[in-house]
Amino acid sequence: MIEPAQKQGLAARLLSGQPAALARAISLVERGSPTVSSLLKAIHPHLGRAVVVGFTGPPGAGKSTLVNAFIAEMRGRGKTLAVAAVDPSSPITGGAVLGDRIRMAEHTMDSGVYIRSLASRGHLGGLSASAARVADLMDAAGFDVVVLETVGAGQSEVEMAEMADVRIVISAPGLGDDVQAIKAGILEIADILVVNKSDLPLANRTVRQLESMLALRAKSDWKVPVLTTNALNGAGLPELADAIEHKAAKRTPKGTRDASSSRTRRLLAQSVAKQLEQEILADRTAETDAIITALQQADIDLFEAAARILKHYTERQQNG
Amino acid sequence: MNQDPTVPARVLVTKIGLDGHDRGSRIIAAYLRDAGMEVIYTNPWQKIEAVVTLAMQEDVDVIGISSLATDHLLVPKLMAALKQAGLDHVRVVVGGIVPDEDEADLLATGVSKVFHPGAVRDEIVSEVARLARDADNARPLD
Amino acid sequence: MQITPARWIEKGHPMSMKNKAADWHEKYDAMIGTDKVVKNRSGIEIAPLYWPLDDPDGSYAEKLGFPGDDPMTRGIYPTMHRGRTWSQRQLIGLGRPVDFNARIKSILKSGASALSIIPCNSVYRGLDCDEVEPEILGTCGTILNTVEDMDISLKDIPIDEISIGLNDPNPFTMLAQMLVVAENRGISWDKITGTSNQSDYISHFVANHMFYRLSLPGARRVQMDTITWLAEHVPNWNALSIVGQHMQQAGATPAQAMGLTLSTAIQYANDCIERGMDPEKFLERFTFFFDISISFFEEVAKFRAGRRIWNNLVTERFGVTNPRAKRFKFHAQTSGLDLTRQQPLNNIARVTAQAMAGIFGGLQSMHTDGYDEVLSTPSEDSAKIAISTQNILKHEAHLCDVIDPLGGSYYVESLTYAMEEEILKVIVQIDEKGGMYKAVECGFVQEMIGASALEYQDQVDSGEQIVVGVNAFQETEDASSRPILKRPPIEQMEEQIKRLKEVKVARDPDVLARALQDLRDTAKSTDANVFAAEMDAVRAGATLGEIVSVLRDELGFGMPLVVA
Repeated sequence: MIEPAQKQGLAARLLSGQPAALARAISLVERGSPTVSSLLKAIHPHLGRAVVVGFTGPPGAGKSTLVNAFIAEMRGRGKTLAVAAVDPSSPITGGAVLGDRIRMAEHTMDSGVYIRSLASRGHLGGLSASAARVADLMDAAGFDVVVLETVGAGQSEVEMAEMADVRIVISAPGLGDDVQAIKAGILEIADILVVNKSDLPLANRTVRQLESMLALRAKSDWKVPVLTTNALNGAGLPELADAIEHKAAKRTPKGTRDASSSRTRRLLAQSVAKQLEQEILADRTAETDAIITALQQADIDLFEAAARILKHYTERQQNG
Repeated sequence: MNQDPTVPARVLVTKIGLDGHDRGSRIIAAYLRDAGMEVIYTNPWQKIEAVVTLAMQEDVDVIGISSLATDHLLVPKLMAALKQAGLDHVRVVVGGIVPDEDEADLLATGVSKVFHPGAVRDEIVSEVARLARDADNARPLD
Repeated sequence: MQITPARWIEKGHPMSMKNKAADWHEKYDAMIGTDKVVKNRSGIEIAPLYWPLDDPDGSYAEKLGFPGDDPMTRGIYPTMHRGRTWSQRQLIGLGRPVDFNARIKSILKSGASALSIIPCNSVYRGLDCDEVEPEILGTCGTILNTVEDMDISLKDIPIDEISIGLNDPNPFTMLAQMLVVAENRGISWDKITGTSNQSDYISHFVANHMFYRLSLPGARRVQMDTITWLAEHVPNWNALSIVGQHMQQAGATPAQAMGLTLSTAIQYANDCIERGMDPEKFLERFTFFFDISISFFEEVAKFRAGRRIWNNLVTERFGVTNPRAKRFKFHAQTSGLDLTRQQPLNNIARVTAQAMAGIFGGLQSMHTDGYDEVLSTPSEDSAKIAISTQNILKHEAHLCDVIDPLGGSYYVESLTYAMEEEILKVIVQIDEKGGMYKAVECGFVQEMIGASALEYQDQVDSGEQIVVGVNAFQETEDASSRPILKRPPIEQMEEQIKRLKEVKVARDPDVLARALQDLRDTAKSTDANVFAAEMDAVRAGATLGEIVSVLRDELGFGMPLVVA
């Protein structure tokens, strides 16, 4: 059992900007080890400085190459960046091959850039369960910009909305059904749309399609720009960085607190759901079996069955 | 701290030196992924300092060096650099063409295992898994 | 019994078949000169070619034909190995140029008839020896950074008489160095023969990343410039060798390797046509380079099918009528991947089987691996055994007495058709992607190869594919009995580095600077010839590293598409 006092050592080193400490902290947080809470407590007062930018989009859009170009642009503006690149774990084996940082290799030796590859580890959706906490750690470590890069899938658009100050959705011309490749949900939460590979012939058409889809969105006080980039030669990157800084400047402390609160609530709900799930799967008591049999025979419906299980567990808790 | 068996091992699969063949590394990456591990996969021709930085940022348990030609001759430099960076808990394995007389030298510098052509999947996977647990146990206390 | 034209008439054969046979006989006689009488140990006279006693539906004539004639299944020349056996082209490369020169002389003495020069891995990466750690220098090939290095390597070698294979990837500095050496020796460039063995940048992008120096579009530009320049200045040089070996070594099946290689050839042919070149001419200079695995009959069928497909393909797609432009000329190398570290002497048997497959497949040039290839760069002894293997097959097993001796075998002909189908499937897939360049840009080819590699590995892992000494018939071995390989002493490499620094200092800095600037400007332009500028840079003393550095700046650094 590691004493909290020793965790303080790690927190202090992380807050002073030591990348090895950040790396270690991310690993601990990813494992969801309970000893991590004192670490999170220690960093809490130092949160809120970094701008969190989320990049998402379908495979083939050139996300990693774009993030690579974005890093170069921001370094040119004197900013430091930490990147969490998330790839899906195999649902069958639990393993993953993480190759996003291959496209960002030019920044490996830049001490102003920190890159970490994360696997989704069974978390449904593009991000990992701990992605929000990882972003917090990167924020506390003092980086100006935190980048979350992920393939858009499952619940990720909602999570991304709660985690990122600026949400970028990337597409590229010729990806099968073009913009149909971007799920409508993702489009809803995007702050900036980027059409990468702008040198390809159909780029302008993709831009027009996106603009017309945007017209269907609910009105808000932020007008979503549709930008074009060529991540390979850097075209469009200054404009993208400007748009991101512009959106980031609109953050308010209340907005940040609300997002954090909403994120924490979701994290709690997911944790409760996971604990309950594990309990029910392992539960072989007669009461639970009876409920399951009734459901199986369609004597009761799913909603009723769930209510009964919850009632059963609550009563069991009360009776000690 | 004993590694929770449900937490995937993290392995850096990379190449140093001049060779660029990646058939071997791709196969190894597939083996390890199918065994439930997380593989951080890189371009070839990594400089020693870059491998150290990658190992540190990704907090890996094991580094797998795929080596053809004589690139394994640079591994002792890597071992020294890892030690200097406080990363000597990280286990290093080398796979590929390594002449017998060089194998002993590599093991002497701290390399945990040399895999030769003909090594089978199960052998490689179980050894890497074992080394990952070793690495975790050997991590300096935070 | 030998079928003579007279007997054809007796049997009442269709005139066309009779004429074709007579036609072949005429060409054969013209080419062979004085034909030796060949008798086997039992006294039976061996004819140069055998074909069916009858061919009522003409299918023999149509599908197989006679060697040197459509559809070329049986060989690209009327005489094949009975007339001229293949070039024994052994790869050599060794640390310092002076050591390499000694090895060339020794290899030529022991029977090799052509050369294949391998540079150090640092050269492949586009780095001068002073940019690399000395312990990894010169271990797999020779350091060739300057004209002086090339001159020393080729000292006393009659480069106007020997065919030279240069393992020299884009942007072909070794070629430039060699041509300048010839120039300095007063040798006319039209006496220079050989091949740019690693001119296929697409294969490097896909499957031999060490050779890949410039970005894909950059490499394309330099390759086309070089082909154009060579066509004008070095007319007997094969500017292009399209390589199937790398892809097969990376895991492509034999049919895939052939299909992908032919698709690459189509791509390059189209690129040449776009440059205004005439396929009737430039296709004469297209050569191929393949792997020979130990899957014996499959390899024989692969080569026969490939040869037939190419013949038909260039006729259909490019409208070629010049028979010399339809010839599927290829060099082949026995596959190092089939060799094992365990019980290395077994590899001699493996190489023998592979070499036989190549011979029966009708190759024009061959390299046989040394048995210790898997342990490291082959020793001198194992290189000698590799050449002797070829000589034994030629002179003792008499494998060259008959052209396409396996032709007509029920199995081989059936397998040739089947391989042809598989190969054509791959070509169609690549066509659908818009050609080989686009297919590799998007990773389609790399995924195909990766999947095959994994599948084969699974077969070996599960024991489905037996590898003697590895997953079956194992022996406990004494590692100390394995041959120890010599690496160049590090002092020699340090000396080479020092030498390079001296050479650099001795150059005229203004002349050099102007030449490099000119190279830079040429690369930036769209119509000037990069190879011509490179020749001038080499004359001005520019090193490999300096030239590659300028071109990487202007045309892009070559990073392979790493598919995780």
